[in-house]
Amino acid sequence: MPMSPNKSKLPAYTDYTYDMFMSSTGKDHAEITQFNQWREEVIAADMYTFQIPHLGAQRPNVSVQRVSGEELDLISFANYNYLGYSNHHEVIAAAKQALDMYGLGATGSPVLNGTFRIHELLEEKIIEFFGMPGYGVSLFSSGYGANLGVVSSFVHKGDYVVLDRLSHASLVDGAVLSQATIKLFKHNDVDHLDRVLSRLDHKNTRILICTEGVYSADGDTGHVRDIVRVAKKYGAAVLVDEAHSLLIAGENGRGVAEEQGVLEEVDMIIATFSKSFGGVGGCLFAREPLTNYVNWYARSRMFSCALDPAVTGGLIKALELAAGPDGKTRRERIQSNADYMRSKLQGHVDIGSSHSWIIPVIYGDEHISIPLSDYLQREGLDTSLMAFPAVPKNQSRIRLFVTSEHTRDQLDQGAESIIKAAEHFGFLLKDKKT
Amino acid sequence: MTSNKNQEGLIVWNFDFAFTTFYEIETDAIEHLVSKPLTPIEVAPGVSLLNLIAFNFPEGALGSLPEFQELILSLIVTPDLSRGVPKSAMYILSLGSTNQEHLDHCASYYKLPVFGQFSRVNIQYDPLAVEYEDHHGPIVSMKNIHPRPEYGEGERYFQAFVKDAGDIYVADVLMKGSLFEHQQAGEAGKMWNHPFFRGIDVDGAEPVSFMQMLNRPGSPGQQFYPRPEKFT
Repeated sequence: MPMSPNKSKLPAYTDYTYDMFMSSTGKDHAEITQFNQWREEVIAADMYTFQIPHLGAQRPNVSVQRVSGEELDLISFANYNYLGYSNHHEVIAAAKQALDMYGLGATGSPVLNGTFRIHELLEEKIIEFFGMPGYGVSLFSSGYGANLGVVSSFVHKGDYVVLDRLSHASLVDGAVLSQATIKLFKHNDVDHLDRVLSRLDHKNTRILICTEGVYSADGDTGHVRDIVRVAKKYGAAVLVDEAHSLLIAGENGRGVAEEQGVLEEVDMIIATFSKSFGGVGGCLFAREPLTNYVNWYARSRMFSCALDPAVTGGLIKALELAAGPDGKTRRERIQSNADYMRSKLQGHVDIGSSHSWIIPVIYGDEHISIPLSDYLQREGLDTSLMAFPAVPKNQSRIRLFVTSEHTRDQLDQGAESIIKAAEHFGFLLKDKKT
Repeated sequence: MTSNKNQEGLIVWNFDFAFTTFYEIETDAIEHLVSKPLTPIEVAPGVSLLNLIAFNFPEGALGSLPEFQELILSLIVTPDLSRGVPKSAMYILSLGSTNQEHLDHCASYYKLPVFGQFSRVNIQYDPLAVEYEDHHGPIVSMKNIHPRPEYGEGERYFQAFVKDAGDIYVADVLMKGSLFEHQQAGEAGKMWNHPFFRGIDVDGAEPVSFMQMLNRPGSPGQQFYPRPEKFT
């Protein structure tokens, strides 16, 4: 029986959205009390699927333990281990070797005493991977920290940051921290960007435009080439966050900027190491004078511990593999897997216009998010749901992160479970049309 | 969590038309209008929400009042979650109506910032749209963007803040009806610079709708609106 048409039968906790507990006026922190009450209600109903521990590595098959203690074996479409390097045996061996040599943590700021030889090796490997002499790398211990630090050290009060409306929170937070004036342009709408820029004092003021390689809500690609063209018109700098696209997009895996032929025209590339690299951390790739400056003036770098050395060892190996024939094979496989998954879902459910390895399945009504998430888990799928306010109302979606490591059988099972869920909750395309 | 703290002096208003748009507006343009400890809620850095609600109350909605129309201007502010968890909290800046008796009642009973009487209101069901004007000229034309609303019986809890003689008051308001809300992008109408907007410059910019909330036009709905209590 479809559940979504009759909202009145849904439990009261489904009425609440993330934004509703975000703030409260007064000194009593009522938002904390109310949020915890809501959380307890969801747990009491045994519907809490958030932050549950995974019992092993992020492979296509994972085991999780629910709050009740129940263990479930799932096919994962929820992690960002796109190329499978997180648990590749050579990557693990390299990480272990670095662990033995350098110890558990860097125990220091990278600018002061936390930089190890292995960090420099990673920087050199990244520069070599891009094949762009004169460029440098600034390493961060998280992708979030990279965006936060780069944006806030590049622009300041009196400058402008112009963000795509769907920019990742780390770019937004970096812009807020910079104290520059923030302007937004409609997602991927280059004409609107042009109008926004035309209203700024672009002759006398520094402007930074931020876009992304692949947007994780829709799996669509940033219009980087067109943005670069408009940016040049106004003398603005362009930052491209390639978090979901580096090592995958482009002929050599150098990202969407490579794919669109503007790699050398982009001022700043942000990489995240927690996705296709399979580790954790992030970096800025840009002309060397800029990375030298960011090394010193990005506060999220200066005041954080340097990248974990064991992870750094693993990242170097992952990059070596990705730059060679292994990477090429995995890139081809992830594209092929994503195309296959799309072909299995198309015509049954709304999968938007994604052409990437992130496939949204739009179920619409945010009220069914918690029951749907629970249902999918019990059907054997580990998925990532996204609802209002992260996406517009009635546009809630299951995000499927397809990897190069999924087998056809796993993709078949995944698609089958999604279609079954769509039947159960009433978001099959044929139901929507009637 | 939705239980309303205060229901004293409750009046149930029966309406047959309710349509609201949350417009995006630069925080810098409106921040000064909100009294502490309340602050505007931002949906993006530097972007707050201005809300317009249009109502039609049929004859008998309040005592022996004839049918009349209302328009309320508010800013979306931080709620007080110790009272319950509302859909949103509104800081009411301006209220107008086609009925003077209704305005007098709103000022005395609800302490609402009454602007004055409208000279012309046009409500259209299909496509859903409203227009308001007074002797100063046009105020707003507001239209539904969504092509296929899917209404469902429901209720929404709001907190309504007002300032009166230096004090802030709050009421826990509940709306029931055949409701639909959406965030469809598109042209949601036009606002004119007008005294109703209490000095907010609304002219010239492209009004961007963040969200719209509709009651099925012509279907009965109820607003449970108690007398406000002192907040600060």
